[in-house]
Amino acid sequence: MSRVLVRKGLRHLGAALITLWLAVTMAFALGRLSGDPTSNILGPMATPEQRDALQAQLGLDQSLVVQYLDYLKGIVTLDFGTSLQFYQPNLDMILDRLPFTLQLVGAGMAIAVAIGVPLGVLAATREGTWWDRTASALALLGQSVPVFWLGMMLILLFAVRLGWLPAGQSGSWQHLVLPAVTMSLYPMAHVARLTRASMSEVLREPYIDSARARGLRVRSVVWRHGFGNASAPVLTIVVLQAGALLSGAVAVEYVYSWPGLGQLALQAIQFRDFPLVQAIVVFGAITFVVLNQLVDMLHVAIDPRLR
Amino acid sequence: MARGEALLELRSLTITASVADRQLLLLRDVELEVRAGEVVGVVGESGSGKTTLARSVVGLLERNVQVATGRIELVGEVLVGPGTDLTHTARGRSVGMVFQDASRSLNPLMRVRRHLSEVLERHVDGIGRDEVRARSTEVLRRMRIDDPDRVLDSYPHQLSGGLRQRVAIALAVVTNPALVIADECTTALDVTTQAEVVALFRELVDELHIGLLFVTHDLMLASDLCDRIAVMSQGEVVEVGPTDQVLRHPTVDYTRRLLAAVPHWTEGASATHA
Ligand SMILES: Nc1ncnc2c1ncn2[C@@H]1O[C@H](COP(=O)(O)OP(=O)(O)OP(=O)(O)O)[C@@H](O)[C@H]1O
Ligand SMILES: [Mg+2]
Repeated sequence: MSRVLVRKGLRHLGAALITLWLAVTMAFALGRLSGDPTSNILGPMATPEQRDALQAQLGLDQSLVVQYLDYLKGIVTLDFGTSLQFYQPNLDMILDRLPFTLQLVGAGMAIAVAIGVPLGVLAATREGTWWDRTASALALLGQSVPVFWLGMMLILLFAVRLGWLPAGQSGSWQHLVLPAVTMSLYPMAHVARLTRASMSEVLREPYIDSARARGLRVRSVVWRHGFGNASAPVLTIVVLQAGALLSGAVAVEYVYSWPGLGQLALQAIQFRDFPLVQAIVVFGAITFVVLNQLVDMLHVAIDPRLR
Repeated sequence: MARGEALLELRSLTITASVADRQLLLLRDVELEVRAGEVVGVVGESGSGKTTLARSVVGLLERNVQVATGRIELVGEVLVGPGTDLTHTARGRSVGMVFQDASRSLNPLMRVRRHLSEVLERHVDGIGRDEVRARSTEVLRRMRIDDPDRVLDSYPHQLSGGLRQRVAIALAVVTNPALVIADECTTALDVTTQAEVVALFRELVDELHIGLLFVTHDLMLASDLCDRIAVMSQGEVVEVGPTDQVLRHPTVDYTRRLLAAVPHWTEGASATHA
């Protein structure tokens, strides 16, 4: 039994490491495909001597193989290089920005789950009724509203017109409200649709009928027996989407001048700060792989059949 | 509950289903009663309305299905009738139900122990932890399960089909209901397990004087277990009476045809079973 678990765990870990290596390698390749960074940094007026000097400084005069190995060595030793525009270690900057992004993604996903799950459950338990159609239409709408536009509208209404909340930047919970709400809409709609689909399947299972026949409260039937069994795909999406937003909340952070990782990524790209871009991509890949493992573990914790 | 007292009474029960804008008749004027300590079999071909009948008693009709007229009384309580709601409190308390696919009628995420404590806590007011434990063990023993503790600590997928079926029955009877309804609950089992379950039901009925409404399309099984048999065809009970009489001297052609369709069914076979 535990032997099997250990072997399973090792196989998982192996797969995770390979995924990680592929992602890291992809980040390296993309960095090299985007052209010679020195010309972007130095501008068109630079002399060849200046360019050669910078290339030497960045290690770009080495062969690709050497560069790649150096790069891998850096990642293994947690040395993610130095930013070309900020002259600071990339890792330090990422870690500086991370708490802001975590706040935003945490609050946004909390809202998404708190509304999306009940909405999906409501729709599934009233399948085919007016409730269901309304909830499903709302979810569809929620998934198709562009984040930029939504952010602008919320700022216009709540910050400019009503003056209830700040329009941007960070510092207090009031600053968090609008960006978190903006960010939550898409995952909320996704969670609602997924919950409805998963629930309506589970509600047809014989054990739901038999739970009802035992006279259990509707609440217990729907949540404990129903949602308990329908939660796995929802959980997967919540965790993975949170992971994607950690380094991909560019639009929301831009609209609200939120000093998170997305903002940093944007600056890095604009400046062709390829070590920083690379570092952020690698960070995103690591997060993704770790969260994937977490999802697998959660599934095993929930479902005894997987043990 | 004294033996012989009418537990369940169905009186001119008519049930319809709305499909598109038409009303289909699922049950028409069904009259049936089940007494304490008695097994009443409901037989009939596929689509004759057996499941609809069984489900109406526990209030588990589908959303497009409704009781048009008639009443259902259980131990004097009106479950269905003018002005009553289909979701009644008798469910799980005075009537337990065992379903066809009993091995899938357990929540895969919950241990057997949790299933039992959940239903006990729901229906036995003020029950304590120790009593839940004691009654859970006791009911499994009653199901002829030798190692109740192992079963209690198992998840459904860790049990054999026969054991899961016993657990499903245990869940239906642990609250000491007056009536148990079983809808094709042995269909998915192999012959040996089937016989064991039938014997178990007989024992429960004889010892606890519960009433059992046993839905099956298997006439052999019905003749083994049932005291009385109701034959259904197209939503109607066309014949009802003591098992022996219905199976040996059927009064309607429909029953004769049902019997003729059973392989190896002879007058002699039915006599030895009765
Ligand atoms: N919700 C529903 N809507 C429309 N028709 C239904 C509905 N439920 C059952 N029926 C129809 O009512 C009839 C009786 O169905 P029921 O399930 O009670 O039969 P049964 O005797 O249990 O059959 P089986 O032996 O196949 O289980 C069938 O013709 C079925 O198609
Ligand atoms: Mg049926």
